[in-house]
Amino acid sequence: MHRGDGDGTRDTFEQAQQTGRPFNAEKDNFSGASGLLFEQAMAQTRMAVCLTDPRLENDPIVFCNKAFEKLTGYKQEDIVGRNCRFLQGPKTDQDQVAKIREAIRTEEVLVVELLNYRKDGSTFWNALHLGPIYDEEGKLRYFFGSQWDVSDIHLARAEEKHAKAMAREVSHRLKNVFAVIGGIVNITGRAMDARSVTTKINERIQALGRAYEPTLDDAALGTIEVGQAIRSVLNPYDPEGNRIRFDGNGARTEPNAVSAMGLTLHELATNASKYGALSNGDGTITVSWHHEQDRHERQSLVIDWKESGGPRIEEEPEITGTGFDIAERLLAYSRGTLDRTWEEDGLRARISLPLKS
Amino acid sequence: MKRILILEDEPLIAMDLQLAFEDAGADAVVTVCCEDALEAIGHTDFEGAVLDVNLGKGETCEPVALELRRRDIPFLLHTGDLDRAGEALRDLEAPILAKPSGADDVVSRLFGLNGQFEPA
Repeated sequence: MHRGDGDGTRDTFEQAQQTGRPFNAEKDNFSGASGLLFEQAMAQTRMAVCLTDPRLENDPIVFCNKAFEKLTGYKQEDIVGRNCRFLQGPKTDQDQVAKIREAIRTEEVLVVELLNYRKDGSTFWNALHLGPIYDEEGKLRYFFGSQWDVSDIHLARAEEKHAKAMAREVSHRLKNVFAVIGGIVNITGRAMDARSVTTKINERIQALGRAYEPTLDDAALGTIEVGQAIRSVLNPYDPEGNRIRFDGNGARTEPNAVSAMGLTLHELATNASKYGALSNGDGTITVSWHHEQDRHERQSLVIDWKESGGPRIEEEPEITGTGFDIAERLLAYSRGTLDRTWEEDGLRARISLPLKS
Repeated sequence: MKRILILEDEPLIAMDLQLAFEDAGADAVVTVCCEDALEAIGHTDFEGAVLDVNLGKGETCEPVALELRRRDIPFLLHTGDLDRAGEALRDLEAPILAKPSGADDVVSRLFGLNGQFEPA
């Protein structure tokens, strides 16, 4: 193999040209003025580039640029003349290699990511873009390959995957903790003959647990999607999924709003199960939510609750439920409100929670 | 008296479920691993079961679920993470009650299965 001590890129081209094929300097884009530009561009680009000659036995690399040397750690003289597969190693995915082989056979453009090995044995994720280059007669002349080190992207993906797995694990454990708390409360209630109290406590704890559950995936964003929390608090009250209608966009709120919101919805649903739209066979509830701006231009999260089809309401019932008292106080701490109107066909309630600006 | 099998590796949840079944007039046997559960099934005629899906160290209730299905004994999967249930368990399409849920809900749900039970 020719080893020039001048400009390596040029030498390699000369090698490519010394392969016995007719080479038309006028027509070939790798020579003349545009050829010079090409060589300079190839020398300066940070993208590793190589050309292989599929007409030679074993489809060897006939050209590579400096970036290719830098990426792989090999010197040009180690590279030229070899098939690209010398960059593969034991952990290279053979399915991806098969795709490359197929693309070369069918002369198609292909982008694959595969694990390649440097001269020192270290690995990198290579986003390989390859495609055929034809001469003026439309005959296959070279295969072009550009290599890009995407190890950082792979690492980021792996970290994201890991983070998701962790979030799932935390979520699973959190559910388990809530289940265990429920167990303790129930057992204690039985032992102290206070079942009715502990049932109430447990219902509220479990509602709270459900309200927080969908927030885990989102927590890193600093806000949570309201709809998920609302659905997961209310789902147990509508096992068939045909009594409560949800209507809202992707409105978000602070995680801190979850406890007041979750407990309030729980009280509304409990009330509906006992006296309202969920106490008979065919009442329904529509829950909708949106952001609203008050006259001081402060944003609030508003959740509307409307029951219908439940037992007819003749007059405003006397609400003495401690549940609503707790909910209202909780909401008040965040300057939120709970308004209830007893309409003839069912309760209308509105939860309003100011958002921190 | 109805005899119920509980497979649950968390003692507090197991105890809560057992007491809830007793309150409902059923006799509940608690097991903490598949081996114990299968042994219990071998010498006791259960009328229903509540199975925790993930039993720690990668063990799932799958073998017990398959055996109960083979014997036509209704059961309920009680789990916080169904994603880990695995293919075979999902294929059984057994009723699922998500954790956390009240012990009384577990009882009434199991008693409601297939109309085979009536709460005592």
